[in-house]
Amino acid sequence: MKTAEEHKTGGITKYFVVYLAILVIAGLQIVIAYQNIDPSQMIFRMFALAAIQAGLAIMFFMHLWTEKRVLMLTLAFATIFVITTMNMIWTDSFRLLGGVPFAKYQ
Amino acid sequence: MHDMSHATEHHAHTPPQGFIRNYVFSLDHKVIGKQYYGLGLVAVITGMVLSWIMRIHLVWPNFAIPGLGLLSKAGAPGGIVTPEYYLQLMTMHGTLMVFFVLTNVPFAGFGNYFLPIQIGAEDMAFPRFNMMSFWTTFVAFLVLIAAFFVGDGPPLAGWTSYAPLSAVGGAAGPGEATGQTLWAISIAIFCIGQLLGSLNFISTTLDLRTKGMTLWRMPLSTWSWFITSCIGLTAFAVLLPACILLILDRTAGTSFFIPSGLVINDKLQPHSGGSTLLWQHLFWFFGHPEVYIAIVPAMGIVSHILINSMRRPMLSHRVIIYSLLAIGFLSYMVYGHHMFVSGMNPFSSLAFSFPTLLITIPSTVLVLIWIGSLYGSKLRITTASLFALGFISMFVSGGVSGFFLAQPSLDIYLHATYFVVGHFHMVMGVAAIFGMFAGTYFWFPKMFGRMMNETLGRVHFWLTFVGTYCIFMPFHYLGLAANVRRYSAFVDDYLQPLLGVHKFITIAALFTGAVQLIFLYNLIHSRFRGALAPANPWEATSLEWTMPSPPPFDNFGGRHPVVYHDPYQYGIEGATNDYVMQDSPEEIKSVRDER
Amino acid sequence: MSHANVSIATPQPVGVMESSPFSIPSKKLVMWLFIVSDAVTFTAVLFAYGYLRNATPNWPHPFRFSPSIINVMVMTFILVTSSFTMLLGVRAAKEGNKSKAILWTFVTVAAGLVFALLHIREWMGLIGEGVRLFQNPWGSGLFGASFFSVTGLHLLHVIGGVAVLTVVALGYKRGRYNSDDLEIWGLYWHFVDLVWMFVVPFVYLLNITRAS
Repeated sequence: MKTAEEHKTGGITKYFVVYLAILVIAGLQIVIAYQNIDPSQMIFRMFALAAIQAGLAIMFFMHLWTEKRVLMLTLAFATIFVITTMNMIWTDSFRLLGGVPFAKYQ
Repeated sequence: MHDMSHATEHHAHTPPQGFIRNYVFSLDHKVIGKQYYGLGLVAVITGMVLSWIMRIHLVWPNFAIPGLGLLSKAGAPGGIVTPEYYLQLMTMHGTLMVFFVLTNVPFAGFGNYFLPIQIGAEDMAFPRFNMMSFWTTFVAFLVLIAAFFVGDGPPLAGWTSYAPLSAVGGAAGPGEATGQTLWAISIAIFCIGQLLGSLNFISTTLDLRTKGMTLWRMPLSTWSWFITSCIGLTAFAVLLPACILLILDRTAGTSFFIPSGLVINDKLQPHSGGSTLLWQHLFWFFGHPEVYIAIVPAMGIVSHILINSMRRPMLSHRVIIYSLLAIGFLSYMVYGHHMFVSGMNPFSSLAFSFPTLLITIPSTVLVLIWIGSLYGSKLRITTASLFALGFISMFVSGGVSGFFLAQPSLDIYLHATYFVVGHFHMVMGVAAIFGMFAGTYFWFPKMFGRMMNETLGRVHFWLTFVGTYCIFMPFHYLGLAANVRRYSAFVDDYLQPLLGVHKFITIAALFTGAVQLIFLYNLIHSRFRGALAPANPWEATSLEWTMPSPPPFDNFGGRHPVVYHDPYQYGIEGATNDYVMQDSPEEIKSVRDER
Repeated sequence: MSHANVSIATPQPVGVMESSPFSIPSKKLVMWLFIVSDAVTFTAVLFAYGYLRNATPNWPHPFRFSPSIINVMVMTFILVTSSFTMLLGVRAAKEGNKSKAILWTFVTVAAGLVFALLHIREWMGLIGEGVRLFQNPWGSGLFGASFFSVTGLHLLHVIGGVAVLTVVALGYKRGRYNSDDLEIWGLYWHFVDLVWMFVVPFVYLLNITRAS
């Protein structure tokens, strides 16, 4: 907790850099959005950049980086675990176009 | 916000004045626990009566059930259940039992009452949240029950509310207009109540443990409530948006769960593009963890009680906790085994089958520890311990059929039959109910300051135990004989030879249900006329037994207990009794636990 | 409230409680847990949207650079900036500079309001173009359903955050709430910002109108 307090009262520069970084990444996403690339590549890049943005916000704006490491690990593990297991839904998304199997879709 | 900031005000050492603040909008975790228990009791009686009506209708289709015609003129004209009304009763039976009994009593009810006491806290971390979570749940209950009295009655889509039946509205059948909307609203509200409760349970367990109560020193019941609340925190978070999307489909014309070109009663539905499987994915992503929300607290309660009766700790305290944790994690990876026959990608069936079989490992470890610890112990037979043993029996009998259902090739044959009905009623329904009975007989003296009648209790146990086996075991055979479930009448030729079995089940169900009157009588009679309970009638070690029965308003009378030992110091040589309480500073010569 | 971090009111003598494994006040822990839970809720809604979008061949791509994407850029800028001003407010509160903390919090509230208004204006524009929950002029009707559900859920969080931050800031001014409360609701506000970081690429940028 002590380190957290120190960081909070410490330089504002770091947070301003984080702020700018998040904005730059947001701009980068728009650049990527107008590239002509494969949709799966597009989604991957979008997700990677959004994850970096979110990570910056969680670690610095929300000070998770300076909390006890066990809090960060617990929260990150719980959230990532649940979200990862939810990914099983995609298998059906790819084989049911318009809610019906490929073969029958018109 | 308002509520969080006032978390501090509860800490008056005198109880609040007035009936309303004391018993209705009470902030006291003990009152809230009893409220959950009472709500569960109302729900379980309602749900059981519904199952009676269904069973009677199945074997005596022309028997007019008195009064039912008044409840629903369209659904049961003259007291005779229509096929649609049968499904409506089934939906309400499932919803009431799963949400308002199996989730409410072992987790929210006993958990609220005993979790703070067992860790040495004066109350939950956020008493106002706690009160809100109960009253939210209560509102959800009222909204659900209201479905009986609106339009053409409650929904008929089953407690899983599969789309598109649940999503297209009145065209899908009776109850699918207003009734189904009420169902979705009720469950959404229920989710909010459970989320509030889970937040409270987790923060209480982590933050309000008294001096010496390390995480490993928490009793197994506390561990199970803690693990359950962690599951609930993320599981209900998925059901909530799923219900909201369902409500949008029903009221705002969206088509999340309704596919293109759906024709109902020769009418093309004005929806397009949705996916019925999406609902199932979202629902079961909640639904499977929900099974463990029901059963994990019962496992903890049963372990807690058995140790007390065996007068020695389990073979391994930690392995039980690790197994419960493993079950909690695996519960997120297996939900697809409910969807083997719903048109899910066949390849994902394989991916879901494997972790489903894997989850039998921690379950088996638990059972082996229970049985291994029981082996050679001088068991003190009480009603509570009998029900705990009954739980193990039910869990094993119901669990073994899980091996069959976990394999897609077998499940495809068995899924739509009574085999599944038998399986989940035993392993989740009756097992968890036995956990509740065990908890009730064990903790009643603490909750109400009076002992329950042991003789009546044992009669209740043996009749219930035999009765439930008579009901649910034959279901498995019916399933193997391809008796389809969800049918309101058996008119096909191949089902005729099975009608005798159905009659037997119905009689067993009526009998077992009637036996519960013994329990109700015992509960009410003992509440007022039972022998006064001493502080520690079972010679138990955990903190709830260090205070008078019933506990004073602030639990420990303003004192902060200090914990010196692991929770289960039984069979200690050289101790004054054969046990040492958790807060006793007594030196222990032989520490039996592995640490 | 200002006298206790833990949620039991009477100041505890040292050492009567086991310390929390995370060494943060209960209220902050609850907010973190709520954020985990809410993150799962948003994931479920975004997954539902992705599932349907992926399975729908005639998914519309209605967002033109002007005005839609420019509007989104402005909204992102405002929300990220409001997150930053929230951070400044919490820092000031931790330093004991009450008036500065309240000022920055109200700047955050104002930014949140502007964000909500821009969002509603965008909604009105789309509705004006014929987008409904069940149909739109360009393709699958699921577009409107998903778009309004995802952004609507987020908008509800923004409006809720604006309301709560107003209450907390006013309460903080009167001494009813302390800097911890401001910090905790700051966490919530950052989370709302964080969700937007996923909504923008997946709901807007994957559905832009292309020249081809």
